[in-house]
Amino acid sequence: MAEEFKIIDADVHNEQMDSAFIPYLQEPWRSRVEKSGVGYAYSGYYSPVGVMKKDAIPPGGGKAGSDPDLMVEQLIRPCNVEYAILTGVVYNISATHDPDFAAAICSAYNDYLIAEWLGKHPSFKGAIAVSTLDPAQAAREIDRLAGHPDIVEVIISSAARMPLGQRFYHPIFEAAERNGLPVAIHPGAEGAGSSTPPTAAGYPTRYIEWHTCLSQMFMAHLVSIVTEGVFVKYPNLKLVLVEGGVSWLPPLLWRLDKNYKALRSSVPWLKRLPSEYVRDHCYLTTQPIEEPENPQHLIDLFNMFDAENMLMYSSDYPHWDFDDPRMILRKLKAEARRKIFYENAKKLYKL
Amino acid sequence: MAVHYVIDAADVPEGGRVIVQVGGKEIGIYRIDGQYYALLNYCPHQGAPLCAGHITGTNLPSQVYEYIYGHQGEIVRCPWHGWEFDIKSGVSLFSDNIRAKRYEVRVEDGKLGIVI
Repeated sequence: MAEEFKIIDADVHNEQMDSAFIPYLQEPWRSRVEKSGVGYAYSGYYSPVGVMKKDAIPPGGGKAGSDPDLMVEQLIRPCNVEYAILTGVVYNISATHDPDFAAAICSAYNDYLIAEWLGKHPSFKGAIAVSTLDPAQAAREIDRLAGHPDIVEVIISSAARMPLGQRFYHPIFEAAERNGLPVAIHPGAEGAGSSTPPTAAGYPTRYIEWHTCLSQMFMAHLVSIVTEGVFVKYPNLKLVLVEGGVSWLPPLLWRLDKNYKALRSSVPWLKRLPSEYVRDHCYLTTQPIEEPENPQHLIDLFNMFDAENMLMYSSDYPHWDFDDPRMILRKLKAEARRKIFYENAKKLYKL
Repeated sequence: MAVHYVIDAADVPEGGRVIVQVGGKEIGIYRIDGQYYALLNYCPHQGAPLCAGHITGTNLPSQVYEYIYGHQGEIVRCPWHGWEFDIKSGVSLFSDNIRAKRYEVRVEDGKLGIVI
């Protein structure tokens, strides 16, 4: 299959040691990171599998995903990846507490990404990370870097203090739209630091619950973004829901559309059914794709929304729940497969 | 069925594993308590190199909030998605129907033969 199709991978995690940011940091942040590292806030949930795909740790040492050559050898070349959207992990900084430090770390990462990854291989395209703790600073960061030819996206964390559609966050969406970049939302720090509890019911006991319920966060953010009128205010904005699951989408939109019919007057700025805004503005990445016993059930589910125009393949390399493009979604018809593994991303990212 | 003698028994350390090439296949040979076991280096889930996974023990089926750790050294955990397999049988720990391909190993004159 891989030989037939070129692929665009919408979620590839490049990583680095904290010390990589030091040359890109100004004081007072530089000496802080020299002394104490970045100091991310972590959710605290233990996985017996670990976060990293065990064969992706570079033989010479360092973090999985930190060696561009190994990434090319393990992912880009064997999977026929024409473009990989490098999403990093620095969006997780939004779960910390100090908005100025978080903004400085994002800027340092973005400069590091441009200087030390983009240009290393023609397939590498970048998502700039911005912190949601101070949307005005985030908007300035988007304006600063959006013109770089290899920057194709803005990425933020789904671990946040509030539902992401609320007006507090609008400067991020406004800046992204102004610069023609989609906004990606990515999980990872749910429940950490300053963010909300990771599930609607509170803090679960184990990683299996935490990871399964990440989809709840995406449901809540998506309903917020639609009903708060983000797509009405920013009609050219595109949103990418990364790694939040897929199968929840159709029933959520059925419920939201039904409620809209009765409760429209509370969101009078919405001129169409909520599901229509989602269809026109949102993309979902595939990994970790749900794997029902009967693979046909997933295809049936894809027929319940505009899956072939809204999904984009993602591997999540080098993380443990990596999806190999040669092994998933094999029952899709050729045209849907081509769109999901290549054309939708090519169009969205203008590649 | 043919027996392919590929490696000296002494080259597989107790508790360890060695990956060999046999007739175009990559096979991991494991040694547990002096006995040898062979698994295809291919996870039935998404084709990961299964034998690159850690050799480990695991929590056995138990009562709620009870933990019974066992099978130390008899479980391989896939390096991608973490699926656990019993090295001796190749069977996954969550379903008898999900199995890694296993091969019989013969020992003769200090050599290990894989029956394919």
